Amino acid sequence: MRGADYVIKRAAFAIATIFVAVTLNFILFRLLPGTAVTNLSRVPHATPALRHALEVEFGLDKPKWQQYVIYLQNLFRGNWGISFANQQPVWSNLKTDLANTIPMVLLGTVVSIIVGMATGIISAWRRGTKLDQVSTNIAIAFYAFPTQWLALVILILFASYLPSHGMSNDFLINPTPWEHFKDVMSHMILPSLTIALTLYGEYTLIVRSAMLETLGEDYVLTARAKGLPQRTIVRRYALRNAMLPTTTLIALSLGYIVAGAILVEAVFSWPGIGLAVYDAIEARDYPMLQGAFLILTVSVVFFNFVADLLYFRLDPRITE
Amino acid sequence: MSQAIQAVETENLSLPPPKKRGNWFWEIIKGSTQAKIGLGVILFFTILGIFAPWIEPYSVHQQSGAVFCAPSAKHWLGCDDGGIDMVSLLIQGGRISLVVGFCATFVAMVLGGGIGIIAGYFGGGTDITLMRITDYFLVIPDVPLMIVLATLFGARLSIIILVIGILLWTGTARIIRAEVKSLRERVYVKRATSLGSSNRRIIFRHILPQVGPLLIANTVLTVAIAIFDETALSFLGLGDPTAITWGKIIEFGFLRTAVSAGAWWAIVPAGICVALVIMGCYWLGQAIEDALNPRLKVAHLSPRTFRLRPLVGRGSDAI
Amino acid sequence: MSLLEVRDVHVWFDLPDGSQLHAVQGVSFDIDPGDRMGLVGESGCGKTTTILAVMGLLPANATLAGEVRFNGENILEGGEDTVRPHRWKDISMIFQGAMNALNPVKTVGTQIVEPMELHDVAEGNAAKRAAGELLELVGIPAKATDRYPHEFSGGMRQRAAIAMALACQPKVLLADEPTTALDVMVQAQILELLVGLAQDLGLALILVTHDLPVVAQVCERAAVMYAGEIVEKGPMEELFHAPRHPYTRLLFAATPDLYGDEQVMSIPGAPPRLDREIVGCPFQPRCDSSFDRCKVEAPMLRAVGVSHDAACHLNDRAGVATTAQELS
Repeated sequence: MRGADYVIKRAAFAIATIFVAVTLNFILFRLLPGTAVTNLSRVPHATPALRHALEVEFGLDKPKWQQYVIYLQNLFRGNWGISFANQQPVWSNLKTDLANTIPMVLLGTVVSIIVGMATGIISAWRRGTKLDQVSTNIAIAFYAFPTQWLALVILILFASYLPSHGMSNDFLINPTPWEHFKDVMSHMILPSLTIALTLYGEYTLIVRSAMLETLGEDYVLTARAKGLPQRTIVRRYALRNAMLPTTTLIALSLGYIVAGAILVEAVFSWPGIGLAVYDAIEARDYPMLQGAFLILTVSVVFFNFVADLLYFRLDPRITE
Repeated sequence: MSQAIQAVETENLSLPPPKKRGNWFWEIIKGSTQAKIGLGVILFFTILGIFAPWIEPYSVHQQSGAVFCAPSAKHWLGCDDGGIDMVSLLIQGGRISLVVGFCATFVAMVLGGGIGIIAGYFGGGTDITLMRITDYFLVIPDVPLMIVLATLFGARLSIIILVIGILLWTGTARIIRAEVKSLRERVYVKRATSLGSSNRRIIFRHILPQVGPLLIANTVLTVAIAIFDETALSFLGLGDPTAITWGKIIEFGFLRTAVSAGAWWAIVPAGICVALVIMGCYWLGQAIEDALNPRLKVAHLSPRTFRLRPLVGRGSDAI
Repeated sequence: MSLLEVRDVHVWFDLPDGSQLHAVQGVSFDIDPGDRMGLVGESGCGKTTTILAVMGLLPANATLAGEVRFNGENILEGGEDTVRPHRWKDISMIFQGAMNALNPVKTVGTQIVEPMELHDVAEGNAAKRAAGELLELVGIPAKATDRYPHEFSGGMRQRAAIAMALACQPKVLLADEPTTALDVMVQAQILELLVGLAQDLGLALILVTHDLPVVAQVCERAAVMYAGEIVEKGPMEELFHAPRHPYTRLLFAATPDLYGDEQVMSIPGAPPRLDREIVGCPFQPRCDSSFDRCKVEAPMLRAVGVSHDAACHLNDRAGVATTAQELS
């Protein structure tokens, strides 16, 4: 199979990076002096029994390298410690949070990709015109707006029309699945809109750049010399080839949406992993912070890997 | 024949390293409206920041208006929840925001540029090791790591600057390394090496001037990211509590219920300032980058086609 | 009536500051089946733009004037729309450095089949087979149709480009610096191939190049361009041994570069700017035989021999010029 070794190499790199992140996590939170406060067993309001149990579980009295091994084992078993804030296992907290974040971010991302691609293509095609200049500068503007600020502006503008707090209406009693779904969706609009707006600028610029690049390539001139009609050339040559760098750049950026999600969820109080990080910072909830960092890192590494695979699939020149 | 060969040889020997025109920067600025606007915006805010104490209309430590007072002739952008004038806050905020942005970028540039040059120049094992490390750092997400570092080590300005700087060097390192690698293959570098120049001398005399412009373009673009990251960190409560930055202003606006009080002026202008600076950096940085790597490609395909002009008595037959 | 008649073609390019660059200034020549004509000159003299104009492959900032008649019909009459049906089917082209002329993400076979299906020459499996045969014709194994361009060496890629150019059995092949990016050995093979194809298929060939040995190997006649105009055209023999324009003489007499690459121009000075009107002969500033008349009056292309024209006042003096228009 072509490039089986390429896939394996990239997979190995991905795993290695996760390993580095995991170790980094350990070093930061357990090893460094002055991080005694992050002691996993110091759960506020915990009973001495619980404290003791945690100490044993995480081998906090044993030498560092043994702690490291125990740490890795626990990681695999899903034992990520207890949240300082709600005394619940970190892993189960994060699981719920992640499940809440994904649909909201997904919606925003899909919309931004579609809009970004459309504007990017049109901008590149009409390069140099007023339309191109305006569109590009608007994209740059949205790329430049701080995410949390954009969220706040949207909040200010639309708070009276759409729900802007949390994921569902607490006062809705015994909703039917459909009512519940509608409720959640209506709450999702503003945060997803913010994600979409914050991302679309970058995508426009990426697609525009890729298209301009391909439109200037010699093979487009060849296609024209062959007598192909313009539309066909744009579709079959310019667009198709522009998709190469575009898909990988987009896939790469997906990993970084995590940062945006933190800020957006904080503003709209959307109960996802972003808000969990926000709260964890405020409360100095180190176990939660550790866990969230790990999840965020793994997601970025994963999307990088996906980007590698996509590039490999789309570009026949990659064989090694 | 031997004369010709001699001529070719001497030519290569006396070939000096190709020097970019000394004032390449100003040439680029002159040649692009985009660059002019970008530079203008950055300079505007920098000057504002430098002369902050003399420009600001009111003190930022004293109440001078009502709580959340609306924009008026007295307070052009109203006041915050402590009755402090927003314009003054913004001017002060710009000062520290820019300082953080510039310093963090400086750290990132020194690190990134240094690693890039060393990796690209020495190649081999050094290169591979350095690039591996860079790859890992590239993949680990910036903001979460920043959050972790800032949470653990406390919120002082210096820490914030270091934290941001440590995350931003990776992109630069890659770009510089690629450039240095190709520069290394140029004739004049090989010449200098065989003539016995020390590595240090070659790097500083030949490589650095060539790589300089690219580094500068990258620096400008990094400032944009640094400022963006600072606002994010501030918003999450990880900024220095004693420093006023635009990010802090937005954070305070959020925490102190400016939204429910309808006091948009406590939030919106700060974000606009950040956006303007970032846009300015982007415009300037892009203009420099475009000038260095001219993708002067004519589009082989465009909406309009070539035009026809009928020949009117151009004497086509009079031969 | 010749197969291809190029009449008084002008090309202007719009410049950013609003002025225009007069890149091609009234070029005319005729091509018959089997002809092998070279178009030579320094970089920037307009030779590439000329052949691009023949196929209407100019960008949006270009203005075109003149006629290009294929079998009597002016294909440039309606601009892009009248030209397109003739592309590849009647006139095709190979470009400088086939590195990027081939689409990297599609197989070579697909790219050869594409114009076949577009111009209804063949389709489906028949087309694929025909593509294989074309590859064999240019010296590449037929099963290479399933390969991607990056899997070929430079020389093979150029061969594939030639095969692709022949896909619809055109009558005229335009070759723009086809061998510049290749090493000397491969160059010779490609040129041999082109000559063979012209002879075997009755293909007319226009070879654009700045490299004189290349022209000498392939073409029986050539047109020399300077500053957007043809300054001399005629049989290769005569251009070499009895040039009737100082530029041609200097060009052909220049010492070839030792290392076999770029022609070392030993003519001091530089070509004139084409964004402003030129008074007198454009070559005059660099000419070693100019006199007063050259500064004020631009010489016209006049017959100086059988199928041999030149644009130089020196020919008037020698008394050999006639005013009869003779198309070579």
